[in-house]
Parts: sequence; C-alpha cells; structure tokens
Amino acid sequence: MAGRIAQHPILGCQNENKKIVTFHYDGKEMKGFEGEPIAAALKANGVMVHRYTLKQHKPRGIFCAIGRCTDCVMVVDGEPNVRTCMTPLAEGMDVRTQYGVSDKPFDQQ
Amino acid sequence: MKIERFDLIVVGAGPSGLSAAIEAAKHGMKVVVFDENARPGGQLFKQIHKFFGSKEHKAKIRGFHIGEQLLKEADDAGVKVELNATVAGLYQDREVVVRMGDEVHHFKGDAIIIATGAAENMVLFDGWTLPGVMGAGAAQTLMNLYGVKPGERILMLGSGNVGLVVSYQLLQAGCQVVALVDAAPKIGGYGVHAAKVARTGVPFYLSHTIKKAEGTDHVTGVTIAEVDNHFQFIPGTDKHFDVDTICVAVGLSPMSQLLKMAGCKMEDNPKRGGQVPIIGEYGETSVPGIFSAGDVSGIEEASSAMIEGRMSGAVAAEYLGYITKEEKEEILAKLKASLGSLREGMFAPKNRGKDIKETEEGIPISTNLLHKGYVLDSEIERFPGVTHKKGVHPVIECTQNIPCNPCQDACTRHCIKIGSHITALPAVDETADCINCGMCVASCPGQAIFLVNEDAGDRKAEITLPYEFLPLPETGMKGTALGRDGQPLCDAEVTRVRSSKAFDGTNLLTISVPAEFAMKARFFKAAAQA
Ligand SMILES: Cc1cc2nc3c(=O)[nH]c(=O)nc-3n(C[C@H](O)[C@H](O)[C@H](O)COP(=O)(O)OP(=O)(O)OC[C@H]3O[C@@H](n4cnc5c(N)ncnc54)[C@H](O)[C@@H]3O)c2cc1C
Ligand code: SF4
Ligand code: SF4
Ligand code: FES
Repeated sequence: MAGRIAQHPILGCQNENKKIVTFHYDGKEMKGFEGEPIAAALKANGVMVHRYTLKQHKPRGIFCAIGRCTDCVMVVDGEPNVRTCMTPLAEGMDVRTQYGVSDKPFDQQ
Repeated sequence: MKIERFDLIVVGAGPSGLSAAIEAAKHGMKVVVFDENARPGGQLFKQIHKFFGSKEHKAKIRGFHIGEQLLKEADDAGVKVELNATVAGLYQDREVVVRMGDEVHHFKGDAIIIATGAAENMVLFDGWTLPGVMGAGAAQTLMNLYGVKPGERILMLGSGNVGLVVSYQLLQAGCQVVALVDAAPKIGGYGVHAAKVARTGVPFYLSHTIKKAEGTDHVTGVTIAEVDNHFQFIPGTDKHFDVDTICVAVGLSPMSQLLKMAGCKMEDNPKRGGQVPIIGEYGETSVPGIFSAGDVSGIEEASSAMIEGRMSGAVAAEYLGYITKEEKEEILAKLKASLGSLREGMFAPKNRGKDIKETEEGIPISTNLLHKGYVLDSEIERFPGVTHKKGVHPVIECTQNIPCNPCQDACTRHCIKIGSHITALPAVDETADCINCGMCVASCPGQAIFLVNEDAGDRKAEITLPYEFLPLPETGMKGTALGRDGQPLCDAEVTRVRSSKAFDGTNLLTISVPAEFAMKARFFKAAAQA
C-alpha cells in the first residue's frame, strides 16, 4: 500500500499480522488495517482532505492526530463529526468527506 | 451517585504519572491512573530514539522500551490503569470527574497527582490550516505508532529537540526532509541531534520562517524567507520548496487546566513553558493533597518527568501516612541527586535564553553547529573527544555540555572519560587501547562517536559510523562518503557491517575512504542513492 512504511529500521514491520479490511471513502473502495485509526488508513491511501469548514468552505486534514483539534472529523457510517484520528477502522465502514456538518457537497445542500 | 474512592488518583499515564503511581503503590497505596489515550505511556511510545542521561535515568534505552518497562513495573506494583478515560473535572475536595465512552464517572482520591503533560504549540502563517500542515507530534504518531508516512517531501519548522528528533525519525521512515527551518538565529536543541540530521544532507535555515504554505486543497509547496532581529521578513530572501507536508515543532505548553480548575495557585512562567502551578520542590501545589509532576509543571524531559513522578508519589505516600517522614526523606534525597545531575549543563532550565559561548571546560562552542547543524573541520580538533593515534581509535564529536554519559560506561577499556560530573565533555584517553568493539558507537544516543583508523594501509582510512536507516548497505558496496555538512566528499566502499543485539538497532558501518578524508567523512550514501 502506498504511504505505508514497509520495513522500519527500528520498529521492523509495524503492521505484521494485522487484518486487512475494506472500507469506502466517498464511495471509493479502499483497504486498511483493522483497528488502526481511520485517519491513518486514509493517509496511507493518499487522502489529504477530511472536511471543509462550514462558513468559509476551507479544507482541513490531519493536524494533531491525538483527538484535540477536530480538524480530521468526517461523516462515518452516516454520523457526522467523527474524529477519524481516534476512531478505529472496521470492515465495511463508510467514510465520507464532511462539508460543514453534512456529507453532501455545499452546492447540493 | 456512586463515588469510588482511591488512596491516590493519578491523571495521565505518561512517564511522570506511571512513575508516581508505581512509587505510591510500592508503599501499599490503592492507586488508579486515568489516561484519555487508548494506550498508556504518554509521549514515550512515540520516541524510538535512545535517550540521554546516565544509567539511573535509563540512558541509551529507546523511549518506547522505557515505556514498556514502566508499564510492567506499574502492573507488578498493582497499579490500575484506566485507558480511554478523560478526566474532565477536578475539584478542591479532590473529586475527579472522568468521561469513559458515553458515561461519566465520579471518583474521590485522598491524594491526587496531575501528570497531564503538554500540548503542542502552533504558529500562524499564510496557509497554516491547509491539509498537509501538521504538528510534529502528529507526524510522529502516524509513523511510529501506525507505520504510515506523514508525507513524502517534508519541511520541518522548529529546531528544538522535538524538531530535530522528528526530522531524523522522518528520514528513518523513508521520507525526504527538504529543510529544517527556525526563526531563531540559533539551533535550539542538542548539537548532536542536529549533527546527525545535517550529515545526511538536510539543510538548516536559521533566522528563517515560513511565509506561506501553498496549495488550494492541500499543501503543494512552501515559501520561507529570512527574518531580521525583530522577526520581520527581509525582502528578496524568499526560498521555495516543493513539499506535500509541513511539520511544525515550535514548542510545548503545559496542559495545566485541571490544576487551575481545582483552585491551585498558578503562574505564567515562560522558562517553564507557560501556565504552570506554583509548586514546592516535590510537586506540592497550593491545595493540600494535590500534586503535579512532569511536563505539566514545566516542560522538560521524560527522564526528569520520571523522577518528579517518583518524588510526588513518595510525598503523597507520606501525606497519607503510608511511609514515615524519615523514609520519605531518604527516598527524596536519592531522587534529588539524580534530578540535579539532569538539570546541569548548557540546556538546563536555568540556562534557557542565555547566550553560552564556551563549554564548562572553557572551549569555544562551534558557532557553525549552532547555525548550520554541524561542526566545521576547522573547529572539530579543539574538542577533547577528538584525538589522533595509530590504529583504530574513537573520535567523539560531542561538543556541548549535556547530561549524558553512556559512552563512558560502554567502554570497558576506559578509552572514554567523562568523570562523575555527567555534563562534562567526553574525552578520549589516548593511553588506553581501543579494541574496536563498537559498543561506544552503538550506545551513544547522539550518534556522535566514530571509530577511525587513520592509516588502514594502501593510503586508505577506515571509519566506523552508526547507521539506523534502511536499506542497510552490504559489505563491498560502493558509494559516496558525505562530510559533516552532508555534502559528497569522495568515493567510499563498505568494508564491514555489524549488527548485534547489544547494539540495539544501531548498525555499525565501516567504510574505506582515501586517507585524507579520515577526519572528514561521517556518512555513507550507497551509489544508487547518491
Ligand atoms: C519528539 C520528542 C522527543 C523527545 N525526546 C526526549 C528524550 O530524548 N529524552 C527525554 O528524556 N525526553 C524526551 N522528550 C520529552 C518527553 O517525551 C516528555 O518530557 C515526557 O513524556 C513528559 O512526561 P509526562 O508524563 O509529564 O507527560 P506525557 O508523556 O505527555 O503524558 C501525559 C499523559 O496524560 C494524558 N492526559 C492529558 N490530559 C488528560 C486528561 N484530562 N485526562 C486523562 N488523561 C490525560 C495524555 O494522554 C498523556 O498520555 C521528547 C519529546 C518529544 C515530543
Ligand atoms: S570501540 Fe570499544 S574499546 Fe574502542 S572506544 Fe569504543 S567501547 Fe572502547
Ligand atoms: S558522546 Fe557520550 S556524552 Fe556525548 S551524546 Fe554520546 S554518549 Fe552522550
Ligand atoms: S487530527 Fe486533531 S482531532 Fe484528529
């Protein structure tokens, strides 16, 4: 998978023995490891934008990766404002870009 | 409402919180530790480098291994660690409100220790909210906890130890670091941390900062420019880099909100990193029974955080009558000496902001090290770790007074002398014979030790250097030797590669170079990479 560290000089193979799961990002099929934060799986798949802000429609992505900044929130399985850096990935998850507080682009809201 | 009671409640399962809990539980107290994270260890679990200090501070052990040791100790001592448990409130009567999942629980502690650590600071620049701009801590979390590269081409802002260490870790993860930038005129972190980044070829831009992060949906580039003494941009000094990621490491601020909420007297203390509680020598706040330890009471190190944790644990144990005053004094005396030795040297809290020009030994500091990240060929000879002798001998390029001495302990032949004052510069004793065992090279957390044979025959010199990257070069491989400045110097051939359990992940690469480069060649790039 792109963006993964296949072999690390100190940590070795970090994702050995982890189960690969399939999830959807804006309708596109992607793969990640079960239990890793959704944000990590998205990063490994090259996704940079997690949401657009409500008022100014500005893009946001991973910023703190420890659940503090809320920049990484997305619509997960229909629920908005899910902090993807803290939420474990599971088989079949539906992850969508969040526009304001919705998964619909602004021109469709 | 049910309120569960504990002798001691610790908030934060980082090095300070776990140490406090271990100390208290050892004396028979009923202890619980709450941490909002899914894994315990705080900052330690992202630290994959070897730590400074001396043996008693767990020097030369990698941070995450120290974390594992602490967890085991906590477990053995019967400490209960509650994860995914965010402490949302702390009141003067020592009641603690904890959010666990969707539920809110209430606890009461006869004593409370706050060890919540610190949060990363941010700086504002044009485009700072673009996806691709992230905290250095976020980058560390992605690569060291989840095995994901934070980006491919990265610019690091901040030259403190965090910026330096994370830059090195990004290189280890296989990312490219295009530049290390800091608005300050001097590198803030340890020279040895800077030098190990500089020798791989990463350029340092001091007195520079970010003007603009470029890109519409995410970062595609960055422009930096030089700043004057008043941190104003100097026209005509713009430099552009194509990057996909910008990491920001501009300091940490204590997360002291809970202490404030509990009514502890606070102060704004820039030397300690911001809003901190006013505390006694062992972490006693102004509210009886509430203590603080670690970064929350002043940004320092994991090594000092562990000692502060032990201290507050012992003080809490005496406060509740689990140990006598005499027992407490005995424990504290030992810990105090250990903490004191860490708080010496050029980077000690008391020296923050001071312009230090000479080492304790009276040797002028390398100004190039402070500005560019490496000691010049013309400066290196003045340091006591750099000597010349026939045969293989250690060359120690550790040129600032930092609390560290694993090199001295590593050498059973007594080639390396620091003495009992651990911030002294390491000196090489030319009368002792080096047996080329490599232990000093592998145990130096600063990767500052090289084994040099200035005359290996055939007008060649051999240099052994620490190497923590992949792919690991093989014997016979040809490539280029780089200088301390990371610039190509000459052809080099790998003549030996050593890896061993005792070296703990640090490989020893021996390269052969023309003899005139013996004191210059300090890194190796394989032919394909050069
Ligand atoms: C890149 C980098 C390199 C470093 N290198 C070194 C080094 O070489 N040597 C060294 O000695 N030190 C090093 N440090 C510093 C060291 O990691 C910290 O000083 C140390 O971890 C501080 O320990 P602590 O226990 O005070 O806080 P932390 O380790 O930050 O732990 C605090 C814990 O509290 C939890 N918490 C916070 N708020 C709450 C709440 N409300 N409820 C529940 N839990 C909460 C957090 O989740 C966290 O787990 C480095 C730091 C960084 C970032
Ligand atoms: S290689 Fe071994 S003998 Fe030589 S200085 Fe280092 S530790 Fe001492
Ligand atoms: S040379 Fe010695 S004192 Fe300097 S960083 Fe290495 S181990 Fe520490
Ligand atoms: S990246 Fe900050 S909350 Fe997820």
